[in-house]
Amino acid sequence: MTGQAVPEDLLRELAPQVLGVLMRRYAGLDSCEDAVQEALLDAATQWPAAGLPDNPRAWLLTVATRRLADISRSESARRQREDAVFLATPPAVLAGADAWLAEEAAGPRDSDDTLTLLFLCCHPALTPSSQVALTLRAVGGLSTAEIARAFVVPETTMAQRISRAKQQIRAAGAQFAPPAAAERDQRLRAVQQVLYLIFNEGYVASAGETLQRTDLSAEGIRLAQLLRRLLPDDAETAGLLALMLLTDARRAARVTPDGALVPLTEQDRGRWDRPLIAEGAALIAGTLATTSALGPYQIQAAIAAVHDEAASVADTDWAEILALYDLLAQVSPGPMVSLGRAVAVAMVHGPAAGLTATDELAGPLARHHRFHAVRAHLLEMDGDSAAAAAAYQMAAKYATNTAEKRYLNREGRRVRGH
Amino acid sequence: MKYMLIIYGNQELWSSIDPAEFAKEIAAFDAFNKKYYDSGELLGAYGVADAAATKLVRLTEGQPAVTDGPYLETKEYLASWYLIDVDSEERALEIAADLPSAKSMPVEVWPILHEASRETGVDMGVV
Repeated sequence: MTGQAVPEDLLRELAPQVLGVLMRRYAGLDSCEDAVQEALLDAATQWPAAGLPDNPRAWLLTVATRRLADISRSESARRQREDAVFLATPPAVLAGADAWLAEEAAGPRDSDDTLTLLFLCCHPALTPSSQVALTLRAVGGLSTAEIARAFVVPETTMAQRISRAKQQIRAAGAQFAPPAAAERDQRLRAVQQVLYLIFNEGYVASAGETLQRTDLSAEGIRLAQLLRRLLPDDAETAGLLALMLLTDARRAARVTPDGALVPLTEQDRGRWDRPLIAEGAALIAGTLATTSALGPYQIQAAIAAVHDEAASVADTDWAEILALYDLLAQVSPGPMVSLGRAVAVAMVHGPAAGLTATDELAGPLARHHRFHAVRAHLLEMDGDSAAAAAAYQMAAKYATNTAEKRYLNREGRRVRGH
Repeated sequence: MKYMLIIYGNQELWSSIDPAEFAKEIAAFDAFNKKYYDSGELLGAYGVADAAATKLVRLTEGQPAVTDGPYLETKEYLASWYLIDVDSEERALEIAADLPSAKSMPVEVWPILHEASRETGVDMGVV
């Protein structure tokens, strides 16, 4: 094995398992998580020369435990933190460690560890961006530098955000234990939302730079697959994963090589990833056939599947999409859902009906580019070029990323040229 | 989402503040900076020198020509700016209101649309 590259997937798959074992035995997210990160770094530097150990999981556990002992020694010397009782007695970390390490090294005893870790990282005391950062580090096994690069912030800022998140979790008195039954659903929704934020961050960023950035979409999908393995019977988790797959399948057609945005209706469907669509469509179809708890991710995945399986815009089953939006508006009402529904209304009942459906959104979405972009599109369908051009211009004003702004300005110029 | 908070200064007004009061004001800004660096939301805080110290550079037939200026008509001009990265516009507005100077001067809150990559110079598509 000497001289081989370290399989990064293996390290990142083992990271939450090793952290889970340490958390269960020692508690204290701060120190345990730092210890695991140091062990991952040790593996990445030592394995290429020394070769892959026979039992990588046992190797990481042993090294992480030693690192934890080092951390606890220096911590207790400073006596600044009150992470856990064991910090006062560093030798206690290693006492009897051989016996339990041997036992734990045999394999994952309890896959619920990783789930508990996800719940902890998405703790309600944290802001969404802190939940995202902590999840990527503690469960995703990414380094602070990689996370900082992905979010285009300085590494010191990201380090601060992660360490603050750990402090807040401690201050909230959170334990390494599954949430109480009464709050479990709500906590699971928070986990799903964090995974979706990770995916979406990677998807929305301009494509010209994706090679420079850690691929957050792929990471979002990987973590959603992990959550699905942990909760195979949860319909919304399946819906979330299906939604990601069906959205990601359109990635290559979503932008031109020079980074210009291509809307769904104009995309070259030959460039859509068919195997990914088949996988996502099968997953959501199977889920909808058996679900007893229909939720927003399942419905959004169903909408994405209808788009993805249509050969063209004209071939799209818009009546089906409208019915799904009606359902979505019942399950999870909101102005963005109403806006999506208005497009479906226009495709089924004509642009005038679609425009009427957007009227009530003029208040809540007045400063949102997508509202003005949808209106521009429907006004153009309705033959009102002047109003469409003005609406595109307004949309460009409120656009939040350069690729979108360029696209909307281009559309505005195109409509005015008529 | 990244935002730039901009505050404008008035040299005349600042010069009139007594030194003890001024030190207190500086301490309040230091505390603001520390608070938001610690929360992982402040990416950078910068202040400019007096307008009298500024220069203008323009290219004349390919050669840079440097002059004093700009000569500003207004008493108030760019004093400091802060780059923050937060979860929502609401949070950006909340931090803007927490700036010590907000009690006497308005703070401009500008969403950042574009940021160039360190490696390639290409737009990163800020979200």
